[in-house]
Amino acid sequence: MSAQRRTFRIMRGGGPAGSPAALQTYSLELNEHATVLDALEWIRVEQAPDLMYRHSCHHGSCGTCGMMINGKPKLACLTKVDNLASNDIKLEPLVGMEPLGDLVVSPVALMSAYPDNSGYIRESEVNNDAPRPQALSQFERFENCIECGLCMAACPVDEEFQGPAVLAALNRELAKTPERRAEILHAAGRPDGVYRCARALECSRVCPTAVYPAKHIMELRKELEKESSAK
Amino acid sequence: MKKHHVVVIGGGGTGAAIAYDLVKRGFNATVLERGELTSGTTGRHHGQLHCGARYAVADREIARECMEETNTLRKIASESLESNYGLFVALNNDDEEFAPTFIDACLESGIPAEKVPRKQALRMEPKLSEKIGTVVQVPDGTIDAWRLPLQFFAGAQEGGAVIRPFCPVTGVDIEGGRAVAVRIRNLIQQQDERIEADLIVNATGAWASQITKFAGIDIPITPAPGTMLAVRKRLCNMVISRLHPSGDGDIIVPQRGLSIIGTTQYKTDDPDDIKVPRADVDFLYRCADEMVPNFSKQPFHAAWIAARPLAGKSDSIEDGRGLSRDFVCVNHAQHDAVHGLISVIGGKATVLRAMAEKAVDAVCHELGVQEPCTTTETPLPSHRRYYRQGVK
Repeated sequence: MSAQRRTFRIMRGGGPAGSPAALQTYSLELNEHATVLDALEWIRVEQAPDLMYRHSCHHGSCGTCGMMINGKPKLACLTKVDNLASNDIKLEPLVGMEPLGDLVVSPVALMSAYPDNSGYIRESEVNNDAPRPQALSQFERFENCIECGLCMAACPVDEEFQGPAVLAALNRELAKTPERRAEILHAAGRPDGVYRCARALECSRVCPTAVYPAKHIMELRKELEKESSAK
Repeated sequence: MKKHHVVVIGGGGTGAAIAYDLVKRGFNATVLERGELTSGTTGRHHGQLHCGARYAVADREIARECMEETNTLRKIASESLESNYGLFVALNNDDEEFAPTFIDACLESGIPAEKVPRKQALRMEPKLSEKIGTVVQVPDGTIDAWRLPLQFFAGAQEGGAVIRPFCPVTGVDIEGGRAVAVRIRNLIQQQDERIEADLIVNATGAWASQITKFAGIDIPITPAPGTMLAVRKRLCNMVISRLHPSGDGDIIVPQRGLSIIGTTQYKTDDPDDIKVPRADVDFLYRCADEMVPNFSKQPFHAAWIAARPLAGKSDSIEDGRGLSRDFVCVNHAQHDAVHGLISVIGGKATVLRAMAEKAVDAVCHELGVQEPCTTTETPLPSHRRYYRQGVK
C-alpha cells in the first residue's frame, strides 16, 4: 500500500506560560498502519521538535496518551489514522484535565481522586483453577483500568461528580477488600457519588481496556440499595 | 554539610532509580527529561521481569543479578509486577539438546529452574502448543513498564528530588575541565534555564551520545531498535519463552488483557528515526504461533518499536545481538578528562535498581561521599503517589 498525505491540526500553546492556544497545521505521508501517536512522533522529529504530548508504552497499557481526536477522547497509540472518518485530523488536549501546553494535560486531579490504598493487582481470570507454581496462591494480573481519564472526559455529567474511573476503582476495591465495605459504600453514596450518574454510558463506550465503568457504578448502586433496605 | 546537587539527564527507568538512590543517600537530585517520563525506551518494554534464565548460559553473573533483582523488586514494588513465573518450552530436537545446558546454567546462577512434566505444563497453560517437549519453569514475571518507574519517581520525589519532564537539554557548560551546569529549554514555561550541578549523570540510554557531544565526548553506544506486537487476549498467565539460545521472536509476555510477542533487533544510528518494519509483524505472528498456536487469530492490538541502548559500537556486527546487554558506567574524568560527568549505558529493565546502585556508588566516589545504598529494603510508594504529591 502506498503512503498517503494526511493533514493534522494540532493545538499548540495554551499552558501556564501564557501563549494562547491555537491550532497549527502539519502534514505528512503515512502508511495504512500508522497510529495518531506514530504521526505525532514523526511530526516532532521532522517538523516540530518542541511539540509536547504525553506517551510512554505505545500499546494502550500506560494510559498517558489520551487526547481529543476530532473531538472524541481516545488514546493516540491505539487510534489508526486510516480508521478516522476525516482526512483532516484535529488534535486537542484531553478535556477534564488541566492543560499544561500543546497536548499535555496534568493527571494530578484524577490520580488524587482514586480511593486511598487501592491496589493495582487482582486475581487473573484466566486458568486460575489450573495447577500453578508451588509458590503462588493464585495467578495475578494488573487491574484493567489504565487510569487514562478517557471516561472522565467522555462523561456528560456537569455537576460535581467523582466520575466513572474513580467509582469503578471503588467497586473493584469492594470486590477485593470486602472488609472495607462500609467505608467504600460511604464514599460511593456521597452527593458527588453514584447517584450523579445519568446513565449516558459514554464511559463504557470510550474505555480502551473494557473496564465498563458504568457497570461498576450500577453495581455500587445495587449495593447501596441493599444497605438502605436492610435498615 | 552542604548537600551535593546531582542532575540526572534522562527520565527513563534508569534515571528514576538513580534519582531515588541519590535522595536516599542524602543528595539533592534533579531529573531532566526531554518529553514525558519513560517516553524513550523504558515505557515501550514488552514487560518481561527477567529472572535471568534467558542469560544464564551466556553469562552466569548477569543471570544471578537478574534473579536477585527480581526478588528485590517483588519486595519493594509488588504492585507493578504480575509475579506469575514463566515456562521455557522446547519445540524441536535442537531445543531438547539445549535443555540440560540451560537447566544447569540456571541452577549455577541461583535460579530455581524446575522441569515440569509436559502434561502438567499443558494443564498450567492450556493454550500452549501440543508440540512442546521439555518444559522448564522459572520465576519470571511481567513488569508494568510505566508504573514501576513511576514508583521510583514517587520515592525520589518524596525524598526531595525535583522531576522535570518536558525539559530537553540544550547544552552542558564545561569550566576548567569540569561539567558545571546543564542548559535546558523548559517547554512548559517556554523559557531557557541553566541548572548548576556538582555532578551530572547522563542516563539517556540510546540517546547517550547526544548528551556527551555537548561535552565534546564520543561515547560507544549502539541504539538497537526492536519490534513488539500485542494481541487483544490474555492467552496465558506465565511468561512463555522458547527453550533455545537467545533469538528473535522467542518470548510471549502476558499483561492485563493482552499477550505480547517480542522481539526483533536491528542497529541504527538515530534512536528517533525508527519505524516498525512490516515484515517484523508477520515474522512475530509466526514465532508466536509456534509456541501458542492461536496467537495470530486473536484481534490485533498494537505493533510498536523501541530503541534499546547497547553498550559498545557494533560496526562489525549484523544485528547487534553480539553486543553485551550488560550495563556500563563511564566516569568521563577517567576516560575523557572531563570531571563531573558520568554516563550510564546499556542494561535491562529488571536490573534498574542495581544499575542505579552502581551509578550512585560512582557518584559517591567522585564526590568523596561515603553513604551505603539503602534501596533494597523499603517498599516504594504507589505509582499514583507521584502525582498525588501535587506535581504537574
